[in-house]
Amino acid sequence: MHIPDGYLDLSIAAVFYILSVAVLGYSIYRLRGQKITPLFGIVAAAIFAAQMLNWPIPGGTSAHFVGGALAGILLGPYAGALAMAVVLTIQCLVFADGGVTALGANIWNMAIVNVFAGYYVYRFIERFSKSAAAFIAGWLGITLAAIFAGIEIGISSAFGYELAITVPVMGIWHGILGIVEGVITAGVVGYIAAARPDVLEKKAAPGKLSLGVIAVMIAVSPIFAYAAELVGYSEPLENAAEMLGLEENPIYEGLLPDYTVPGLDPYTGTLIAGAVGTAIVLALGIILARYARTA
Amino acid sequence: MHELLERTIREASGYFQNFLIHEYSKKSALHAVDARVKLLATIIFIVLAVSTFKLEKVLLVLIFLTIISAVTGLSLRSLAGRIWLFTLFSFIVVIPISLSDPAYLITFTLRVAASLLAIQMLVMTTSFSEICLALRYFRVPELFVSALWLAYRYAILMFRELLGILIARESRRVSKGSHMDVWKKGGEAMGLFFLRSFEKAERVQLAMEARGETLNHYHGKLKKLDFVYATILVFTVFWWVII
Repeated sequence: MHIPDGYLDLSIAAVFYILSVAVLGYSIYRLRGQKITPLFGIVAAAIFAAQMLNWPIPGGTSAHFVGGALAGILLGPYAGALAMAVVLTIQCLVFADGGVTALGANIWNMAIVNVFAGYYVYRFIERFSKSAAAFIAGWLGITLAAIFAGIEIGISSAFGYELAITVPVMGIWHGILGIVEGVITAGVVGYIAAARPDVLEKKAAPGKLSLGVIAVMIAVSPIFAYAAELVGYSEPLENAAEMLGLEENPIYEGLLPDYTVPGLDPYTGTLIAGAVGTAIVLALGIILARYARTA
Repeated sequence: MHELLERTIREASGYFQNFLIHEYSKKSALHAVDARVKLLATIIFIVLAVSTFKLEKVLLVLIFLTIISAVTGLSLRSLAGRIWLFTLFSFIVVIPISLSDPAYLITFTLRVAASLLAIQMLVMTTSFSEICLALRYFRVPELFVSALWLAYRYAILMFRELLGILIARESRRVSKGSHMDVWKKGGEAMGLFFLRSFEKAERVQLAMEARGETLNHYHGKLKKLDFVYATILVFTVFWWVII
């Protein structure tokens, strides 16, 4: 999910640098005076080590753990976001994994969206079941991070594919891989809840105002996507097909053809199609989480 | 769980070579250039490469970077070995678009290659402690830079600890187990690992408090070689602007 240099427009990269620096700067401000440098450093190293694990998945391939939601659950959203930002910066400057100009966007996706969304989903659902809450937090955090990455590269003119391709590809693929992330997050949280429940309590959480500001920043950033639509973005593959005189002739159009609902206007249809897709994946996630608990 | 261990060890062995590469790789003239200059130059080279789709401008950056690498004594073979994989991936990803715009395929791939080359030149010639000090010089908050340096130093140690936990669990396992079983048991092993990392953080905090925990600051002044490198950078920018 690490976006490399060359995939983002510089303007988009700059916007996400500013957003990331604002949230990380505020996180450092909130944590000022606390002697927690070793905690960041060691837990960041632990997350880095955990990301090295190559989890086998059916079909012979494998997946990596990202750990954003887990960092939020264990350290709280501020320290979790900083720990993830540390990991991403090392990966960029030591392993050239993720671009220098794209570091702001990568931090936004994996250290802010992933951590904050994961943390609050966990806090909201934990009263019902800690393991299920951790599963959903892990899955949703990574899927949202991937969707944001899809939006960022989709609205960048530097990358030839548009939102209609990048968002589904990133979202669906990571929505599937996110199940592994969710199960592992649930396993870690379940173990810690049994062995050291105090670790999962009392985290420095944002006040209502700062939470509102960060939530608005996360929510507003994809509006660039809508703005991109307004300035006349169009699908390059469709353009190419049009130039070559090709016509679409699907064998089966599906229940929601082209992310729309037959009979409704395209925007409402896409909104409903997105909600239906999310609900289906969420339901599958809950069923899997229950299975994981009882297995 | 043996599959998890085998795959992880295989991939990690290659990945961790990067940790040691700048400690033991052949010294080049670029090693002697100040990290502050190199960090700034890397960012500018990458910005030059990714802010245009004019093929001649992208080629200029790529050629200048290649010449700098060759002249300063960096192994071009080693650099190529480090950038080819992702360059090829980027090429393959945009092949469908070349149907409507063949020039895009070449320019996009070269932009990625030039950016990767610039960052690899930094990675191969600069120790991470120097990068951390340069970040402090550029006023990146001390909390962040100290955590960065600490995480870097402890990464291999923490990985060894995680691997030790997984190997111990694997040696006690008696049944084969499904994928779900591997994820679940592996998650529990990682739970133990994270608890140990919290305890280690507490011990490190106490040790740092006892010894003093401040990061060193840059004292050195820029040398003649640093100004030469900066001049090459300005020369590149100048040509990039006028062509």
